[in-house]
Amino acid sequence: MSPQEAQRKSRLLRGIHRTVTGLHPALESLMAAVVGLLVGAILMKIWGFKPWEAYRALIQGAYGGGYELSNTLAWATPLILTALTFSMCLRAGMFNIGAEGQMYMGALAAVCIAYFVLPPGIHHLVGLLFAATAGALWSLVPAALKLLRGVSEVISTIMFNWIARWLGLYLTLNILVDPIRSEKSVSIPTSARLPVLVEGTSLSYGIFVSVAFALVIYFLLWHTATGYELRAAGLNPTAARYGGIRNKRTMFLSFILGGMAAGLAGATIMMGMPPTYAAFGGFPQMLNMGFNGMAVAMVGRNHPIGIIIAAIFFGGLSSGGGWMQILAGVPLEMVNVVMGAIVLTMSIPELIRVFPAIKNGTYKLIRSLRDGKGKAVEEGST
Amino acid sequence: MKKFFALTLVLLLGISVLGLAQGKIAMVLDVGGRGDLSFNDMGFAGADRAAEEFGLELTEVQSASAADYLPNFRNLARTGQFDLIIGVGFLLGDALGTVAAEFPEQKFAIIDVDWIVGPNIINFVFRENEMSALIGALAGMAAADAGFAATGVVLGIPIPVLYHFEAGYRFGQDWGLKKYEELTGNAADVAMLYTYTGTFDDIALGKAASEAMLAQGSVGIYNVAGPLGTGDHEAIVEFHDNAGTTYGPPFYFGVDANQDYFGQGQHALASGMKRVDVAVYSAVKSVIEGTFEAGVTSLGLAEGGVGISKRADLDAAIEFGVAAGVVEDTQSARNLIVANWTSNRATVPTWIWQAVDELEAGILDGSIVVSNANNDEEIEAVRAEFPLD
Amino acid sequence: MSDEHAARNSEMFLRAEKITKVYSDGTVALKEASVEIRSHEIIGLLGENGAGKTTFTKILSGLLPPTSGRVISPAGPVRFSSPREALDFGIGMVHQHFALVGTFTAAENVALSYARPFSRIQLAKTIEQLEALMEESGLGVPLDVPVEKLAVGEQQRVEILKVLSRNVDLLILDEPTSVLTPLEVDELFNLLRRLRDAGKSIILITHKLKEVQDVTNRIIVLRQGELVGDVQTASATTEQLAQMMVGQAIEAEAGAVELSDEELPASRTLKAVNRTVDSILQVENLTIRGNTGEIAVDDISFEIHGGEIFGIAGVEGNGQTELVESLTGLRVPDSGTATINGTNILGVDPRQIYRLGVAHIPEDRWELGLVLPFTLAENAILGVHRWEQFRGALSVLKWGRINQHVKQLMERFEIRAAGPGAPAKSLSGGNQQKLIVGRELAKNPDIIVASQPTRGLDIGSAYYIRQTLLDMREKGRAILLVSADLDEVLAHADRVAIMFEGRFMEVCSPADLTRERVGMLMGGVTEAKETA
Repeated sequence: MSPQEAQRKSRLLRGIHRTVTGLHPALESLMAAVVGLLVGAILMKIWGFKPWEAYRALIQGAYGGGYELSNTLAWATPLILTALTFSMCLRAGMFNIGAEGQMYMGALAAVCIAYFVLPPGIHHLVGLLFAATAGALWSLVPAALKLLRGVSEVISTIMFNWIARWLGLYLTLNILVDPIRSEKSVSIPTSARLPVLVEGTSLSYGIFVSVAFALVIYFLLWHTATGYELRAAGLNPTAARYGGIRNKRTMFLSFILGGMAAGLAGATIMMGMPPTYAAFGGFPQMLNMGFNGMAVAMVGRNHPIGIIIAAIFFGGLSSGGGWMQILAGVPLEMVNVVMGAIVLTMSIPELIRVFPAIKNGTYKLIRSLRDGKGKAVEEGST
Repeated sequence: MKKFFALTLVLLLGISVLGLAQGKIAMVLDVGGRGDLSFNDMGFAGADRAAEEFGLELTEVQSASAADYLPNFRNLARTGQFDLIIGVGFLLGDALGTVAAEFPEQKFAIIDVDWIVGPNIINFVFRENEMSALIGALAGMAAADAGFAATGVVLGIPIPVLYHFEAGYRFGQDWGLKKYEELTGNAADVAMLYTYTGTFDDIALGKAASEAMLAQGSVGIYNVAGPLGTGDHEAIVEFHDNAGTTYGPPFYFGVDANQDYFGQGQHALASGMKRVDVAVYSAVKSVIEGTFEAGVTSLGLAEGGVGISKRADLDAAIEFGVAAGVVEDTQSARNLIVANWTSNRATVPTWIWQAVDELEAGILDGSIVVSNANNDEEIEAVRAEFPLD
Repeated sequence: MSDEHAARNSEMFLRAEKITKVYSDGTVALKEASVEIRSHEIIGLLGENGAGKTTFTKILSGLLPPTSGRVISPAGPVRFSSPREALDFGIGMVHQHFALVGTFTAAENVALSYARPFSRIQLAKTIEQLEALMEESGLGVPLDVPVEKLAVGEQQRVEILKVLSRNVDLLILDEPTSVLTPLEVDELFNLLRRLRDAGKSIILITHKLKEVQDVTNRIIVLRQGELVGDVQTASATTEQLAQMMVGQAIEAEAGAVELSDEELPASRTLKAVNRTVDSILQVENLTIRGNTGEIAVDDISFEIHGGEIFGIAGVEGNGQTELVESLTGLRVPDSGTATINGTNILGVDPRQIYRLGVAHIPEDRWELGLVLPFTLAENAILGVHRWEQFRGALSVLKWGRINQHVKQLMERFEIRAAGPGAPAKSLSGGNQQKLIVGRELAKNPDIIVASQPTRGLDIGSAYYIRQTLLDMREKGRAILLVSADLDEVLAHADRVAIMFEGRFMEVCSPADLTRERVGMLMGGVTEAKETA
């Protein structure tokens, strides 16, 4: 092949590549959502439900009016925060699967403020502070294990989720327990509850905490030297080192911020979700919110603003899902299957973006094992 | 063509008119949902029966998470289409109470909750301590008689409802052991092993807890954690398989639903029945018949709300198992269960059964008052009174 | 010596005929190279970096298909689509970096190439076979120890055993001595001689002239993809080999030509004018260990003055990378001192080093120099992102200033890009390098450490970057130029050091060096006329 020919060919390939990948992210997500809805529709059709009716119930139940929209936003509130946990660490090059456990610890810390009497406002602040600190502290252990002993953060954060769950169960039912109703912890007093924003819905001022935190993270990542270092270390640790960035510090920071976000997620549920404002054994109110945050982060392209939008979409699925049962008679199991299909297709674009990095890394490793110098050989052979 | 169109229209109208004439009821379940062969399924059995009998449309809403409870009740109440919204389970209490206050015109029923009341709420609670006392007495006497060192109880999350069970069981076992000493003159030293597993859904944990108790010489396992019973029962079956025994101790004691048909009736000695179905059915009935009256109804032995399973209850239990798909729908399968059940019961001496009947009669006529506990303090008091260790 | 005996029994094993390899990006790695490989023969394959040695052996061992040409065996043409096929045919390669599973024993590693490696029967068979093979070849390796616990030399023996166990006729070894101690080298060569006497063919890739002359029968020299020499070892002098390896004169190809012809005399005169008396960089007795703990830089000392380009030439992998990394804060050396304007720079954070006036143009611009998904603007502040002109209170970045700065860089350094917001990966290699050079020079450094600054660049960009470095020298800056491109170093450096196995073989003015001499020094030979 002559050089010109090769050049022409590579230009054509680049063109095709650009057309496919240059798709606007929003458009891409929209296409993925349509595919997901279609898959869900086919599944419902197969099992004898009415997709059209079900989707009408879903969309109306999620965004049909003020009441519906409020409930959707209420669902989005903790999801924004747990998604930030995951994406924050991913930006720094780490897989933090521990949002779930960090959220539990935040929730427990928030419950603790029930034991203080403080004026409203200050009481709220103390609660949020407690929760953020607890979440951050809980994430510090896996971070330290990673940085000092090289323990995979994926494994340790998953293990810490379980520790948090059972520790939480113990604390809820034994230490923080409500003396009158032993199935739950003490309830957070009115002076520390985040007020309901829209009467007759679950939406509380917690949404402002979430959105504010997302905006702070956005500013941090793209407008400060610290965030710059964090992103550089995540994208190319070697170059970051060359740039005088201390990778361990950025990793640590990402874990602390991620833990804070997860802790706050626990607080917005405890302090902002009617009616009980208390922890139950096993945390049934927030079960899987941490894991769902990972999916939100994927759909939101690991960008704080994208995450807000994605969380509202996910919140819609959750609040609209209930209406699918009521108005279309689709049982919860089927609702979950349909949601799963939509979430999966919507995560795919970002999953592909995140995982080639891993794939390439593995490929590079294999290649370097196979032909010795890896890249150096490739260049040396020209 | 026109004619056809008109016909279709009439048909459609007819159907929708029929639909409108129908009443509608809704039922909200917690995260457990259908298929526990126990508490939730009993609730469904009641609702299904009522819907069928009164020609109602039943909408069931399962909760994906506890955060769903409130929106689920609100959504249902907002539609204004339902004659009655039923919440099955104490976890739903707070959410139902909140929504009931927001929608005073909407009627609600709630099971297992008495701390949330309102002019539009009908509450059903059970005196689980009464039937648990019967089970406790039965297990205690059976253990003493067969020379077992202990009885076993596997519980779920430590909540007030479960304290009812524990308190009653302690009272009953103590009563049974005293009865045993009185009748035989022998000292009875039978401990009570109990564990709060902290879960209503981790079946493996139920099995593990049961195995531990059986290893310590327990005469049987009383399941006080709904779905965990499957695991408890499995542990007992395996114990028998290893020992090569067919009938006799260790026994399985079912809960909420009559679970005597478990394992073809081979090891289930008796069940502490909690008639959630009766509660749900009577709530719906009161709405349909216009006799709805808000307030707390307590169902005990006297009201037929709780009880210990007897031969007369067995056929219904088998049908419940058939409906749930865990018992084969053949006459021979039914006969086998009855035969097994009878043989297994025969391993326990008649005088014990008579003593259980005596306790039941005493509770019914008020001469015996079973201990109860509604919170940590009270259960501690009961534990102190009947240590059983 | 059994050389004559070997030659007598020699017969053709393989013939590569007019092998040409053009990579998909258009680079010509091999041009019609024809080589015959015979049994009873050790062939030395000589060449600089990028001469085509690796490509050639990759084609022989089935890792790459040739663009044109063919490989012929006595039975007819052969074509391998995978290393496995080549191995089955009887060609095995031992790579410079071993392909061993560290936690497996030697026997298990060898067994891996069989269909069911860990069946007890297969393992027993493998051990039996290996023991016989060790007896026969004199190669001793413990078979029951995880290979990661073995010394590097032993690991290499495992690799060789792995290939021999497949009963190969042609054994290719890629720079096998670079990781061995002198004693291990002797052992290896003895083994190779025994294998040769047993009838095997061996290709030994190396850049060490002495070794080639020691052990081979025949030497093939590649230069820029062309076969420039195929001689009997006995009849070649060291000078001839060195000359073949590095070429007669500066080749007329890379943009270096115009540059060197015109700039060379000028730069020499400049040196006299501009060179400041004070040395800016002072290095003394520096010893550095490489990644695997071996001594990579061995007790070297030098200094660089302002207005001077100090060039380091040599085959890659002789310690240049470690030296540069130590001077730029990326690696902590074992011992020695290095100061810039009197301030210590060893073991200091890169961020501090940049503050001391060091600019670093790294050898790998994709791995080290740039964060490819970052924008131009983001890349332009890498390393200086905390400097006052770019960062305000609360560590907030002044994007306005940064963008302005990038626009200036784009203008000054002729970086062609869509704008400051374009991702660095969308730039061509030349523009990427200009971005790095621009960023580094904007630090206003006293010393510029430039490692392979023009590698892989088009003629125009390479010329531009060399010109920029000369400019900086004129302005009195000190420059450390490390390059595998011999011509580049010789044409631009005021003084040049030739590095071999972690030491400077010689430090002198390029004018005092002949090309043959450079070639010999790069091959580790100081004194000429050491021919066999």
